[in-house]
Amino acid sequence: MTDTEKINVTAIVVTHDGESWLPAVVAALASQTRPIDRIIAVDTGSLDSSARLLESARIEVIREQRTCGFGDAVARAVSEINFQGEDSNEWIWLIHDDCAPVSTALEKLIEAVENKPQVAIVGPKLLGWHDRTHLLEAGVSIAGNGARWTGLEALEYDQGQHDGIHDVLAVSTAGALIRKDIFEEVGGFDSNLSLFRDDIDLGWRVRVAGHSVLVTTHAVAFHAQAATNERRSVDVVGALLHRPLLLDRRNAAYVLLANSSWWMLPWLTIQLFSSALVRSIGYLLVKLPGYASDELLAVATLVIKPAVLVKARKERKATRLVSPRIISVYVPPRWSQLRLSLSRLTESIRVKIFPVHESPTTSVLESLEDEDLLVPTKSNQWFNILRKPEAAGYLLIGLITLLASHNRIGALLGGSLVTSPNGASDLWRSYFESWHSVGLGSPNATAPWVPILALLSLVTGGKISLFTTIFFLAAPVLMMWSSHTLLQKYSENKFITIPASFLYAMSPVALAAVNSGRLATIVILILAPRIPLVLSKWREIETIAWRRIYGLAIILAIFSAFTLVTTVISFGLVASSIYLDYRILKEDNDKEVFLARLYRRLVVLLAPFLMVTPYSLEALLSPSKFLTEPGLAIAGGSTPLVLTANPGGLGALPWWAFSPILLILLVALFSSTLAKEASQFGILVLSAAVFFTAFKISVHGSSNQVSVWTGTFIAVATLCATVSGVVILDRLRSVLISSNIHYRHIMAAMLLLLSASYGVISTAWAISAGADSPVQSGHQSVMPAFLSAEENEKTLVLREFTNGDRKSVQYYISRGPEIFLGDPDIVPRQVIEIEDATKALIDGSGISSSKTLASYGIKYVFVKSPYSATLIQTIDGLGGFSRTSATSAGVVWRVAGEVGRLIFTSTTGERTVLPTAEVGARINVPGPGTLTLSESYDRSWQVLENGYRLPKARNAQGLPEFTVTEAGEISLIHDGTIRRAWLSLQLIVITVAVVMALPAGRKRREISEEELA
Amino acid sequence: MIKIRSLRYIAVLAICFLSASLFNVTTKSRNYSESFPALVCPPSLEGLSSQLSVANSQVKYQGLTNRSTKMTSFRTTRFALTNGAIVVNAEGITPVVWESRPGNWSGGALCAGPQISQWFVGGSANVTSRGHLIVANSGLSDAIVDIQVYSEKGKQPLKSITVKSRSFNLISLDSLAPGDQALVVKVAPRSGRINSFMVDEKGAGLRSLGGDLVNPYAAPSKDVTIPAIPNQIQKNGKNSSAHTLRILNPGSFDSDFTAEVLTSNGRFIPVELNTQSIPAGKVSEFKFSPEISAKVLAVHIKSQTPIVAAISTSVTVGGHSDFLWSTGAPKLDAISLAIAGLTPVVVFAGDSISVQLTVTMNNGKKYSRHIKGTDIVTWKAPANSRILTIDSTGKNTYAGAIISSVNGYGYIPLQAGSDLARVEEPSSNIRVLIP
Repeated sequence: MTDTEKINVTAIVVTHDGESWLPAVVAALASQTRPIDRIIAVDTGSLDSSARLLESARIEVIREQRTCGFGDAVARAVSEINFQGEDSNEWIWLIHDDCAPVSTALEKLIEAVENKPQVAIVGPKLLGWHDRTHLLEAGVSIAGNGARWTGLEALEYDQGQHDGIHDVLAVSTAGALIRKDIFEEVGGFDSNLSLFRDDIDLGWRVRVAGHSVLVTTHAVAFHAQAATNERRSVDVVGALLHRPLLLDRRNAAYVLLANSSWWMLPWLTIQLFSSALVRSIGYLLVKLPGYASDELLAVATLVIKPAVLVKARKERKATRLVSPRIISVYVPPRWSQLRLSLSRLTESIRVKIFPVHESPTTSVLESLEDEDLLVPTKSNQWFNILRKPEAAGYLLIGLITLLASHNRIGALLGGSLVTSPNGASDLWRSYFESWHSVGLGSPNATAPWVPILALLSLVTGGKISLFTTIFFLAAPVLMMWSSHTLLQKYSENKFITIPASFLYAMSPVALAAVNSGRLATIVILILAPRIPLVLSKWREIETIAWRRIYGLAIILAIFSAFTLVTTVISFGLVASSIYLDYRILKEDNDKEVFLARLYRRLVVLLAPFLMVTPYSLEALLSPSKFLTEPGLAIAGGSTPLVLTANPGGLGALPWWAFSPILLILLVALFSSTLAKEASQFGILVLSAAVFFTAFKISVHGSSNQVSVWTGTFIAVATLCATVSGVVILDRLRSVLISSNIHYRHIMAAMLLLLSASYGVISTAWAISAGADSPVQSGHQSVMPAFLSAEENEKTLVLREFTNGDRKSVQYYISRGPEIFLGDPDIVPRQVIEIEDATKALIDGSGISSSKTLASYGIKYVFVKSPYSATLIQTIDGLGGFSRTSATSAGVVWRVAGEVGRLIFTSTTGERTVLPTAEVGARINVPGPGTLTLSESYDRSWQVLENGYRLPKARNAQGLPEFTVTEAGEISLIHDGTIRRAWLSLQLIVITVAVVMALPAGRKRREISEEELA
Repeated sequence: MIKIRSLRYIAVLAICFLSASLFNVTTKSRNYSESFPALVCPPSLEGLSSQLSVANSQVKYQGLTNRSTKMTSFRTTRFALTNGAIVVNAEGITPVVWESRPGNWSGGALCAGPQISQWFVGGSANVTSRGHLIVANSGLSDAIVDIQVYSEKGKQPLKSITVKSRSFNLISLDSLAPGDQALVVKVAPRSGRINSFMVDEKGAGLRSLGGDLVNPYAAPSKDVTIPAIPNQIQKNGKNSSAHTLRILNPGSFDSDFTAEVLTSNGRFIPVELNTQSIPAGKVSEFKFSPEISAKVLAVHIKSQTPIVAAISTSVTVGGHSDFLWSTGAPKLDAISLAIAGLTPVVVFAGDSISVQLTVTMNNGKKYSRHIKGTDIVTWKAPANSRILTIDSTGKNTYAGAIISSVNGYGYIPLQAGSDLARVEEPSSNIRVLIP
């Protein structure tokens, strides 16, 4: 039983550069309804006027060193308190120099401990210093990872929701009322905790000593948390580098490891390390490397000094009455920590996406002042929605897409698009593998669009074919939405922007891209409108924040992942801009601006290029890759067609469906508005498209030279034309309304008429002839099932194609039932020996064709029907091929001799086919001889025997050959170290770019008081 | 100023357009490989004598059964075939085989490249038949060949045979449809490099009734022209040749045909050949003996459905009887035939004949001739001719050659034994794996 009459309260005020808050604190102490019996202040070497302030308030001040911690300061003050006698009930009231209790605080604290002799500590409810409705703490605990746990949401508003007197693990030392005898019994504050977490440690020790800790929300104090918020320096002993976070985290770990049961220690150590690691990654992502290092250093500094912990645990054992696990009821469950973290994350995302715009509220009565309240103000008739241009526009594009896609319901294939693999895991595996079983095998780097597709397919549960189908169906709508987002910046008139974005989605390049399966062009058509939004001041690029520059670099990297054509465009743009900057430098000699521009422009050019390494670096060795798109190499259109902004090729609009793009670009050139700038860029990009039609490239598994597909260039030109058109029409409208009819009226009418007629023609074509374009569903596999069933076996597939009156035979080496997404991008060039053997096979001169094919491990020759009987007869007439089947699918021959992937040739010349997995093998060889692997030669092929690498050479056919010296088990591997190294580099570059593009976190000292409140 | 700057952009576009257009024109190329497939010549059967006329002594050959790829030169332009069929690298000049049973009959055939299907209109399977079907496989893999026989009784069950690589099978005609009088045989390989030849030989006891090599059709057609049919006239001026038209409509429905006879005296339709019905799948024969003085005639047959047809003509040579099968010929095109040792009478048939030909003599000299006329024109190759080359020809002209010797008469259609195989070089393209 506590007799309040006999309670003797000594307030201990600890100050450290606290002049900002001290006047309020002193006033608060002076105004307590329950007078304080004695006030002792301890000033820990304040550099400001804190001590003088206290002295002027006639408070006894003890001066200590600046390095004196909070616990030591309190201990020093306690030692000064005179003993009042046996009946006296001595309490100490700890007051921070940034903590102002309300006038009734002490009274309420004392009330809370009335008749509760077991209570050793009672603390008030802490509210924010500036925003006094901001609930800071009402009792505190510690989470398993050392986090300080208040159980409150960020910036939680105090509505009395936590009010009452509660049993807690600990209370903050700010405003805590502590029984002096118990305080001394447990040894006071731990001298190792000079600042931070000393309160939790004390509470924990008090609890295991058999006492209890309360918080009473009837007592209130306002706390500025000056040290936590870095409003003053931390100079205490042990505060390495004066870093509060480091000290806080170190002390958190100390408290956990010193007080927990011994058997919990390994688990706690792991938890501390892992959570420190996760938090440090988080800090790195928001570009706070100092905080990130604090997290790791904190745990490290503690672990490297175990003696400190051992001593601390011994001291606690001496005063322990119950198990440390008694406090487990106060430790927050893991799920509540997780829930709170998720809640904070979603809230921050929500605020980013839907920023709160506080608009002045008006009275409902005011708004209806002049209106007849009896007249309904709204009509809910559903068709009213069609009166909105955006609704009608999106409905129309959706309807057209559905009609045009009636052959595209299912797994898509055709044009440039190849078969989708079963799941995203196949794409990931393809990306990380160093060797690809395509054709004769390829060590080439998988294109970086493959992991992007795998990542995106998560929305369809990793089903690539489903995602591809949805993507192609949704592409026109996404193009329209994306372009409309941009066009809204240039015109508020939706009757202009909606038709313009509709025409963008129905542009020749958009239709051709969808119809011929051009993934890259579709992605660019969807994402390109974001670039002007990100980068509106290209000329004065130095005014753009680095964050936005890296944001742009990431978008360009996504483009480059799909096609390096964007690198060509970026190069042209950056190079010309740097040249212009240099001319400006010559005139005004402002080197600083020039360098600022140069660095930013180089980041725009190089960062995307580096983010798609090693694919982009391989392109330097094979420059035609700079002009390719994912998938099969399908020819683009002729030069005159491309001039009209129609990329041509399979699935493209016919020439007579003339789009207004070129005309708009030309007209806009003579405008004096923003339209002119857009059209200038558009004309240059269109010129590049026209220029590149002259280039013939043979890439992606085709030895045929095909015209470059210029869809990417045209997509950019189309966007420029769309912007130009909108800007012209938006400005022109007002001019036309207010002027007499002249040539501008006629020009505008012609432009609109041409655009409208194009819209009608392209729509009609898209839903009629366009619907039968190459990309369709429901295709069947080329390879007969019995050939596909033989895993890892190579088959030379021959097919006759008819183009008008011209017949040609094409061939390729198949290693399975299908070619999957990403495969065409990495296939190697055909080896000359196989080219010659196939040529000889067809013209009938191939006496040794079977021998050549066998040496490359080609087991079957398959002529796909329909075929010319002469071809079949020719192969029949050649030796070394024995017919195995002739079905409606085609004719199959087996190549004579020992054919396999890995051939062992003994010293006597006897050949044996050894079994292998898809890439490697682990098998026994019977004796000395040579191992020939019928895969393309690559330096990463290794054969290990008894831990040693077997000598490797390139044989006459260019295949890897290994010399076996003795019998034994061998391991055939393709060493993926180089691939992993490149991927690591890519990951690092991407991480850096993402971190740079992310919004930067701020140190607490950089956050204003208002924001903290 | 603004306009000038804008015009610069238009100029850039125009320059790009012009340079791309010019560059495009200069980069189109396509590669082809050209070759004449090796030809197969029929073997000399037991008791027969065969001579092969080749373009020159450097032409190379090898035995069909020879597993080696090595070829040797003939060293002569007229080569006696002693055993087995041979494979000839004729390089575009088709060799002609002249086969005979001394004192009984003779016949001619063209060496040919591998065929997809061959239709032989000739032969019989009755007691007089001593003929054979020769199926040769010049490929290095075993071949499976379907043999479909038609007779006056209809379509016979399909027979499939296997012909070992680099070998030939000899099949007696009487085994194909025992007892049947009139045969048409279709040989179609399922696999392999196949050529087939037919020797139609007849005899009654020890007495030979003549024989011939039957030249094949590639496929049935609605229009068939048989350009060279000999017509022997007796000294009394009466027609001595008996002609029999053998015709097959291999389709599923009955059909009608009309045959028009072309002679140097004009055209006419014999009453026996005027709008005759031919049942589907059954071989029909129509005899006709036109009372004409012309020594050669041609027949043009028009049918409602695709047909194959040939005319058998009985002739007398040196007091013994012989017959020959005149078969349809394709439209005449530029070809070269090796005719060393032969002096063929070439018969051109057509509405308007205009043919430019060249004859290369044994001594290397060349003579050109321009043949003109209507309906039918004959031209006899001079002695010591080595190569007959048809340089150019008018539309719808057909030609065949009648060759006579002391043993008998023979007929060959003027067509190439093999065409120049012009193959666009194959290209590697992963697209072949995409449906």
